[in-house]
Order: sequence, then C-alpha cells, then structure tokens
Amino acid sequence: MAEPSTAVRSFDQEALPHLDALYRVALRLTGDPSQAEDLVQDTMLKAYRSWRQYRPGSNAKGWLLTILRNTFINDYRRRKLEPIAMDLEAAEPHAIYRAVEVDDPEGTFFSRIVDEKVTEAVDRLPPDFREVLVLSDIEGMPYADIAETVGVPVGTVKSRLFRARRLLQTALYEHAVEMGYIKPREK
Amino acid sequence: MSEPIDCREAKARLQDYLQQELTPDLEKEMRAHIERCRHCFQHYRFEENFFLMLERRVGKETCPDKLRRRIVELLRAEAQRG
Repeated sequence: MAEPSTAVRSFDQEALPHLDALYRVALRLTGDPSQAEDLVQDTMLKAYRSWRQYRPGSNAKGWLLTILRNTFINDYRRRKLEPIAMDLEAAEPHAIYRAVEVDDPEGTFFSRIVDEKVTEAVDRLPPDFREVLVLSDIEGMPYADIAETVGVPVGTVKSRLFRARRLLQTALYEHAVEMGYIKPREK
Repeated sequence: MSEPIDCREAKARLQDYLQQELTPDLEKEMRAHIERCRHCFQHYRFEENFFLMLERRVGKETCPDKLRRRIVELLRAEAQRG
C-alpha cells in the first residue's frame, strides 16, 4: 500500500481529532443522527478539498466548524423540521438563581434532570441561540472564535449567550419543579 | 487601579468569568470578590454547576466508529484520485 502523502497526513493530524466535536454540533444543528452523519461527512470532504486554504497550526476546529455551519445552512436547514422553539419572552426576567437561592443555592437540581431532558431543552432553543450555546458552553469555543464562525460581532455572541442560558435555565428549572426535584418559588 | 467590583457587577460577569472570557485584571478582581463574598460565591457555584451539567450531559456524545471509518476511507479514495 502506498504511503499517504504529506497533505493527507497533515489533514489526518489536524482535522480528524475534531470529529467528535463536529458530530456533536451536527447533532444539535440537524436534530437527527443520520443527517448529522451526512453533514459531518460532507464537511470533511469539503474541508479536505479546500485544505490548501487552511493555515497550518491555526484554529482547525474553528475552521472545520465554519465549514460545517455553512454546509448546514446551504444544504440541510431547509429540510429540517424545527421543533417548536421556546418563546424568547418565556425566560425569567431575573436569573433563575434567585428562585432557588434559599432552597437549593448550588443548583443540585440540575444533576437530577435526566440527560434526555437536557438535550431536549437545548434542542428547543431558537436556532440562533442554540448555535452559540453549543459552540461556547458545550464545545468550549472562545467568544471571538464563535463570532468569526457565525459571522456576527462578539457583542452579539455575548447577548445571544446570555439569553440562551437564561432560557435554558428557566426551562430546566420549570421541569425540575414539575418533577418535584425542587419546591416552586413562592410568588 | 480601578474601583473594586461590587456584587451587581460580579453577578453580571459570573458566566463570562467561568468561561474564562475576562481580561486578566478583571479575572483577578472577580476571584478576589468571590473569595470574600459568600453570596456571590454561592451564585458562582450555581452557575458552575449549570455549565458542568451541560458539558457532561450534552458534551459526551462521540462520533460513531462506522462514520469515522467511512470518512477515513473516503479521504483515502479522494487522495488517490489526486
């Protein structure tokens, strides 16, 4: 068997380690495992074909995620059945912390919520908000890199994150109250 | 030196602090404030638990092996084509 060329080797070394992150983001964008697989595969082929445009040693994860996001918007988004998104107005005006600071100040109720409910709540965030939350709070991308990937100013990333987290905390808090994990706040 | 931060500002910056998005100066001020303010420390723990929960629950999925293999094969085929 022929030795892989230098180009293939450097692509392998820089791009393949990010497959897990690409797959997770694809899952949250498409909401469907088989679409997520197709999206990751399309992304990797496109990335390989434009590998010459990548500056070696720069931010490979951000570069790949940008390709993944553009591919999703161009080829997948139309096909997607979005779940009914949470209403932005549904978020508590104050941090959820204020609702639990007496009974559960450290938020141990979070750990009682099952995985599926957390994922479901993330998937019900409005798409623009879900995207930045996944990139920042699940994949650990710096705000500046997210701004570049999404194509908006850093200030927009911050305000979307702020609202996304508040929506998510509100949804999880309401679920925890419903399940009896915490007492509802006295109104 | 700027004014030390108060609880209001500390609370507003907790999430950015946890995501390591503050300037080194602000980060130092935040750390100092959280160390001496019990109330903000508790709020800090709450936000920290929220982030940890997200990372652990939603961030644990991995790329399926068969997809990984398929991609490596596709890339090899693509390389051969040149």
